[in-house]
Amino acid sequence: MRVVTVQELRDLWLGGRGLVLTFAFSLLLSVVAYLVATNRGLNFLEHRETVNLLLQVAIAVGALLALLAAADSISGERERGTLESLLLTPVSRLELTLGKLLGALSLWLVAFLVAIPYVWFLARGVGLTGDALLTGAVVGTLLAVFLASLGVLISVFARSNRVSLSLSLLLLLALFVPTQLPSNAQQGWAGDLLLRANPLTAGEHYVGKVVTNGHAWTADLSWLVSPLLCAAVFAVAALAVGARYIRLGGGATG
Amino acid sequence: MSAAVEARGVEKRYGSLVAVADLSFEADAGEILGVLGPNGAGKTTAIRVLTTILAPTRGTFAVAGIPHTRAAEIRRRIGVLPESAGYPEHQTGDEYLRYHARLYGRSRAGARAVAAVLLDEVGLADRPRSLISTYSRGMRQRLGIARALVNEPQVVFLDEPTLGLDPAGQRQMLAIVRRIAQERGATVLLSTHLLAEVEETCTRVLILNRGRAVALGTVAEVAARAAAPRAARLSVPAADKERALRALAAADVTILGAELEGARLSDAFLAMTEAA
Repeated sequence: MRVVTVQELRDLWLGGRGLVLTFAFSLLLSVVAYLVATNRGLNFLEHRETVNLLLQVAIAVGALLALLAAADSISGERERGTLESLLLTPVSRLELTLGKLLGALSLWLVAFLVAIPYVWFLARGVGLTGDALLTGAVVGTLLAVFLASLGVLISVFARSNRVSLSLSLLLLLALFVPTQLPSNAQQGWAGDLLLRANPLTAGEHYVGKVVTNGHAWTADLSWLVSPLLCAAVFAVAALAVGARYIRLGGGATG
Repeated sequence: MSAAVEARGVEKRYGSLVAVADLSFEADAGEILGVLGPNGAGKTTAIRVLTTILAPTRGTFAVAGIPHTRAAEIRRRIGVLPESAGYPEHQTGDEYLRYHARLYGRSRAGARAVAAVLLDEVGLADRPRSLISTYSRGMRQRLGIARALVNEPQVVFLDEPTLGLDPAGQRQMLAIVRRIAQERGATVLLSTHLLAEVEETCTRVLILNRGRAVALGTVAEVAARAAAPRAARLSVPAADKERALRALAAADVTILGAELEGARLSDAFLAMTEAA
């Protein structure tokens, strides 16, 4: 498994794809940080809200990068004609899946490291740096594991890379839909259930409670149930499905 | 089961489509068995079943003495050049071989050593640190063969290794195939639809048609089974050609044709391109 993971990391980072994505990510964070720090309109945001906004962007985009890398993991090998050679080696499909998953998660790890100075810069005035970084690390890691596992699951069955990437992005957009609902639709027991059940909105709420509202990080742990459950269930599912269903031609039968 | 490859009634179906039907044959250690057949005959499917990539619908087989139920053990003992194999464009040939050697459990140093030996063996020793994206088709195919040998396999499956190669590349590839059998003592299953390759290289041939084996034996045996000989070929030194023709004519022998070997278009092409 270590050999596969190391090769995945080499392909991703020395091959240049990871560096390009990280550069684009840091550019995005720079723009967001510049706007919230200088734009007059955005200056009306309370200081804590600017930190929250930047952290939400870092978590969402960092996890998205992990999803993109994971969605390419198996279907990409299939499409490039390199999967058969891998399947012919004694490496088990479980090891292959785990190596791919860890490789994809490295994008989130690097994205978070890149986000640290931006968060520090914005949060230093309100003594929020430690809480913001800890919350971001926990929520972001859970969401990255969930989304990367989802990407691997889709990639195992997708017959082409295009299908895998499109489906992964479509599902991600669907998960973001509740954030666009009017605020009155997010209230009441149904709205609350929707927000809590969706790992993305639940994670976002938890970050908001700690960073914007100044709650102790132990006060709203119930909001982490969905991200935690989804990360665990999808990671186990991705490994189990990958171990059993990685096939040369994709699809559910082979 | 003691042959290097032994198949008994192997069948592979995709729903109602029968890709391989009732395939039974044996291949001995060190022999080169040509697997012949038109497009869609089931050659690639048969190889994918024998290399454990696809599960058979019915039947049994053993490779290197290992029954098909122990797929992981079979994979440790075989080398495969798949049809239309892809290669990671951003890796160098050396990196690619080292990675695959590591996947077979070799240490870093062991992987480096085996990669160097194999690159030399397939004629890529002068380009170990070139990106695979800069390799020609022939170089990629040779790299694929080198990859198939990283685990010192007992049985090597080559699926259309000469596809898309020019005559010089084909000849180079066939020389490598012969060396694999002669010097390494490995059994080679060579899938192709080029008959000349098989005649030159293989000890025996297996002909598939519509998923079924229709012939198995030496080239002479298979040819004899299909048709009665229509002509005999006689070789004499080129300088004696005219004298031999006159002698045959004097003996009232019907001469169907006469040509000088080494004067065919392929010979001229090779002579001109290899000299250049």
